[in-house]
Amino acid sequence: MTTHVTIHRLPTGIPGLDDILGGGLPEFSFNLIAGQPGCGKTTLAHQLMFAMATPERPALYFTVLGEPPLKMLRYQQQFDFFDSEAIDSSVRFINLSDDAIAGDLDRLLKRMGDAVMQHSPAFVFVDSFRSIVRENEAQVGAQGDLQQFLQQLAMLMTSWQATTFLIGQYTCETDANPVFTVADGLIWLHQSVERNSMVRKMEIMKMRGQPSLPGLHTFRIGSAGVSVFPPASVAVPAKADAALAVLAPRLPMGVPGLDDMLGGGLPRGYSLLVAGPSGSGKSILAAAFLAEGVRNGEHGVIAAFEQNPNRSRNRVVADLIAGGHVGLVESRAADLSIDEVVFMLLREIQRLGARRVVIDSLSGFELALAPTFREDFRESLSNMVTALASTGVTVLMTSELEDRYTDLRFSPYGTAFMTDAIIVQRYIEVESRLLRVMAVVKVRASAHSDQLREFSIGADGIHIGAMLSGQEGLLGGQPMKKRSLAPDSVRPA
Amino acid sequence: MNQPSIDLIASFLSNHIRPGASSDQIAGSVAAACKGIEAALAPVIGRRGGAALLSRSLEITAKTHGWVEGVTEGNPSDIDIEGFASSIARQTPANAAAAGQLFLSTFNNLLMSLIGPPLSWRFLRPVWTSSPGGTTAQDTTP
Repeated sequence: MTTHVTIHRLPTGIPGLDDILGGGLPEFSFNLIAGQPGCGKTTLAHQLMFAMATPERPALYFTVLGEPPLKMLRYQQQFDFFDSEAIDSSVRFINLSDDAIAGDLDRLLKRMGDAVMQHSPAFVFVDSFRSIVRENEAQVGAQGDLQQFLQQLAMLMTSWQATTFLIGQYTCETDANPVFTVADGLIWLHQSVERNSMVRKMEIMKMRGQPSLPGLHTFRIGSAGVSVFPPASVAVPAKADAALAVLAPRLPMGVPGLDDMLGGGLPRGYSLLVAGPSGSGKSILAAAFLAEGVRNGEHGVIAAFEQNPNRSRNRVVADLIAGGHVGLVESRAADLSIDEVVFMLLREIQRLGARRVVIDSLSGFELALAPTFREDFRESLSNMVTALASTGVTVLMTSELEDRYTDLRFSPYGTAFMTDAIIVQRYIEVESRLLRVMAVVKVRASAHSDQLREFSIGADGIHIGAMLSGQEGLLGGQPMKKRSLAPDSVRPA
Repeated sequence: MNQPSIDLIASFLSNHIRPGASSDQIAGSVAAACKGIEAALAPVIGRRGGAALLSRSLEITAKTHGWVEGVTEGNPSDIDIEGFASSIARQTPANAAAAGQLFLSTFNNLLMSLIGPPLSWRFLRPVWTSSPGGTTAQDTTP
């Protein structure tokens, strides 16, 4: 039998937050939610409160001298989590502004203590704690007896078994500050603006007694409140059978002839990059891949990041989405993070039990990311591919590839190394006609065709034809007819 | 949820701020309602927050009933409830009832516009369901 105290971790009810906290909030902990004005501190506090409080384990929300309570109540009601029915049963607001203005910390502590004794809350919020500090400094100068007040407050709340949150505006996390020392948990919210995008990030700077995830984690505030996006590697519960997926029968692609070129279909759990110039048929191939999955009883998910998805969406894909066979992840927001995209994909994959995923296209995806994330796009892509692969799904990504006839390129962004298979499509000119050719460049750990095959696109999809065996120099864009080796032929000088 | 809040205050007004009552009774009811509102809102939005809303309602009422008193000199976001009640008591019952009804319904509408009907109803239900004498509103109906 262990003699160590067991610290219960409370689920916060906020998507993704428990993951970065290291499993939830330690019960009876004394926490600080800090950050600059407008970064979401009060929203996070309210969401935590409404998610965790119950009539049996109620919450007290002390408002001090920050945002006027009337305005706070007015604006917080706009979020889905705000439950008017919970007020005065699970949740109770108590205003302490008159006491705070006096700057008398002892009086303030007594008011809080009286309320705690009266209501026996399981959760206590003090918003804004920073205003208490300022008022105290104004009244008694310097930091007065702030440290003592903090320690007494922390002791009071802990002895009353209340998990406590101080909400405060702090602009510098490196300043020596008594509250940073006393607090068990420090949740720091950041926001940065670049061009017309704003990115919010959360950092668990401290969480005593448990291993929180280091670093900055993106979050978004929507109508449902705060959603945190943990790193892809954490967000994805690795499937035990993911590694065995490659031993299962290969996936048919839905394009006659392509399975043979791939050496018998695409190995399950692989990531496939389809690269080619605009209009070469990448999205049509992706649609066929999804449709073939549905024909075989496999749901799919497509992530579309085009600027005008309604115009560009393939009819086949539109029908699959309308029929509920394929889930759609789309966003025209210009401030996405890779972790948010993975979050949206996983939600759809889990909802549908999907086995096939299409990302159409990587070019649109890059544009959808906030500028700050584009700098490490390659690394982000690698994380996403790894995360998706660990769920056991098979991923097809399309990528715009400018036709360059002077060098042989198969993928932009240097993505070739991170995918298991590559198909390249190109245009070539033959007898004043623009023809399309396709080749399988790579299928990891598998034999595959090395043929460069002509293909066409008809009303019913892609038709793969034969090799252009009479031509040579196809990848130069302007192939020549193979010369006859007749003895009387004249070779040019 | 909009309707219950309106129904509650309508019931309160028809029972306590009616022209059939004396001006003194109406003044007493209005003063008691003001104190009830202060008591109900002060723990949630602070004493100053409640006083600011009452003061704003008084300003609006004074535009229709110029004789109304109670705006605190030098502090437009405070209210002198006793002064307001005294000015009501000096009026005819009809005038007193009209001003009292306008003041309280203006206050209720103001609060609903800021925090919505459900929260307004939740915070002020004790005020609108209690009579100044401590009995329920329904009990005072003849």
